[in-house]
Amino acid sequence: MQFLDKIINQNAFSMNPSFKSKFFLESINSLTSHHFKRSNLYQDYLKGLNYMPNKNNNLSDIPFLPVRLFKDFDFISIKKNEIFKTLLSSGTTSNKVSKIFIDKTNAFNQMKVLQKIFYNVIGNSRLPMLVLDKQNQSLDRKKFNASAAAISGFSIFANKIVYLLDQKNEIDYKKLNIFLSENKSNQFLIFGFTYNVYNYLITKINLSKLITKNFSNAFLIHGGGWKKMEEKKINRSQLNSQLGKKFALKNIRNYYGLVEQIGSIFFECKCGYFIASNFSDVIIRDENLKISKKGDKGLVQLLSLLPTSYPGHSILTEDIGEIVHDNKCKCFGHGKRFLIHGRLQSAELRGCSNI
Amino acid sequence: MYKKTNIEYLVGKNSKLDRTFEPFNLLVINFLDDFSKSLDSKFNNQRYPDLKALSFFCRKKNILNLKYKHFTHGTVRFGLGLLFHITPSNIPTNFAYSLIFGLISGNSNIVKVPSKKFEEIIQIIKSLNKILKKKKYNKIKDMITILRYGSENEKLTQEYSLKCDARLIWGGDETIDNIKKFTTKPKNIDIPFSDRYSISLINSDKILKLTNSDLANLVKNFYNDTYVVDQNACSSPHLILWQGKSKKIPKQKFWEQLNQLIKTKYMSPLISTVDNYSRLATEIIKNKNIKSYKSFSKSLYVITLKKIYPNLFLEKPKWGFFFECDIKNFDNLSFVTNKRLQTLTYYGFEKKFLKNYFSKKNFNGIDRIVPFGQALNINLIWDGYDLIKILSREIEIK
Repeated sequence: MQFLDKIINQNAFSMNPSFKSKFFLESINSLTSHHFKRSNLYQDYLKGLNYMPNKNNNLSDIPFLPVRLFKDFDFISIKKNEIFKTLLSSGTTSNKVSKIFIDKTNAFNQMKVLQKIFYNVIGNSRLPMLVLDKQNQSLDRKKFNASAAAISGFSIFANKIVYLLDQKNEIDYKKLNIFLSENKSNQFLIFGFTYNVYNYLITKINLSKLITKNFSNAFLIHGGGWKKMEEKKINRSQLNSQLGKKFALKNIRNYYGLVEQIGSIFFECKCGYFIASNFSDVIIRDENLKISKKGDKGLVQLLSLLPTSYPGHSILTEDIGEIVHDNKCKCFGHGKRFLIHGRLQSAELRGCSNI
Repeated sequence: MYKKTNIEYLVGKNSKLDRTFEPFNLLVINFLDDFSKSLDSKFNNQRYPDLKALSFFCRKKNILNLKYKHFTHGTVRFGLGLLFHITPSNIPTNFAYSLIFGLISGNSNIVKVPSKKFEEIIQIIKSLNKILKKKKYNKIKDMITILRYGSENEKLTQEYSLKCDARLIWGGDETIDNIKKFTTKPKNIDIPFSDRYSISLINSDKILKLTNSDLANLVKNFYNDTYVVDQNACSSPHLILWQGKSKKIPKQKFWEQLNQLIKTKYMSPLISTVDNYSRLATEIIKNKNIKSYKSFSKSLYVITLKKIYPNLFLEKPKWGFFFECDIKNFDNLSFVTNKRLQTLTYYGFEKKFLKNYFSKKNFNGIDRIVPFGQALNINLIWDGYDLIKILSREIEIK
């Protein structure tokens, strides 16, 4: 895609709003045409909606695929023999799995863009990284589940990786202590899923077995959703304050993104907002799927310029979010600021089931 | 969420559960009548029409009426013994009906209620406990235990399964599969209420002749069959079949009127927006039988089909998502009738005509044929089962 080549080496938050909206719209329109031509299922969908791709269409009119459809259909805009890897994500609500087909170009762009965005969070140096997980032993290099994909994605920022857990999911204190002593005076990264941060660093870890409890030189990156945390009734600020008290952790950043749009990820800035980069945009929709009024909470639609091998450039998520207008926040650079308020509650239905 | 040890007894923790009666025992009938009065006196029934309906069902007059219809004089029958009811979370009053059917048929009852603490459940339990305090109902007290526990407490489910003589398993296919894993006495009878779907049949020519208020009334009945339970009861219709010469205008009038009603009356959570839109997208991509579709609002989607076909409802929609199709004649029904089809609600046809037609045509499905507005009215005949007969034993005396 030409538009990507133009911007992929720029700073990820370089575009001022008016330039971005023009550039983004042109690019998204050309992506819609691209997928319309190459994916039969996507073409059927657009035809069913009576939508014809056109370079002059409005951003708010770009059709969105509901995210759960990736579980029911194999959306693909490349030839089978061009599949470089397949990402699998298990949903929390059903046993079905999303399948995302990636070709080499896509994989490269995802990595590159992730790097460009991450640069604004932490800089360009590669750091030792502690992963709050066990090492993936899967032999299949072509199929990744969401967690393996995230770990492998973030591993490009590491010059050394140590896994907190052994294969039995127990904390490996010996390895952990070696890592901590090696990095006593270095900056290092901790990466993990939000629930693992809580489960291992808050609940399970035995501080008396550690050589130090001072993680003040660490940078904690976590994501993957708050659903399990809601069950535990722990919110963001509670998690952060507990981590601060326990480990003197100051630098804690949540990230947000879809497996269906890997690469164009959103990091929390110091002000606590997620910020859309040059490569992505966010639209909030109300209960009638119309654009929400300024400042209202609603359904999050995510747009990304990266998906070229599958029609995932405009997706209706099942998350609740809110656009924030805060002129004081200068973090990263330009880009829409927003908050995520969790996943839609799968309503307690009056349906044939015994709960 | 309940922990393994968390068992909550709502009624009759120490009930003996060893008593049976003949069906329609007078003490039971009086007990239900008192229960009806207690429920009725409590409420501003506007808020809980389902409690009002339950209270109405339990009146002595109604039960005697049912006795007249369902009880064969001259036979000797008694309840089977102990019933274990696994009740569903979809309809808050369902557990009460299940219990009442158990009592009327002359049985002792263990009733497992859903984890969600519906206000209706709380009120029903209050009334039951109040009436059961009366000395004259000591015998009935022995016949009822109502409790709540988590399904992961398999030990308890196993214990009751071995103790009971019949299990009434509400809650759909998944629950049924799960409960059937627990062993029972050899003579135990399982009455499974499995996942069903339902349809409607409308005489379109009759719609044209309706006055505005009659149309409003018809649409209100349809609303009560569907939206009151988020279109998610087995008896709520999902497919509307139109028969008649006039094709376009009756449909338009009906759906527009319904859309007006739901705008003023129906509340649904945000997830319904995503559920309905996702369903539309799925149908657009997958379904080759779509003639056209219209999204009236977030709570009313109508997909018009070119023709009806089997397995239309492997996944039932909800929150106001309908399919519709024209049919030339009733014989076309055979395309959608299978054992999963439960209720057919109708408008614009004579009962006599329907009775005549359906008694001759033995479709492989359809257990209920009722007018609009009665889809959710539960009764002693349900899912094709004659519950009083099944839940009692007859002594043959020659």
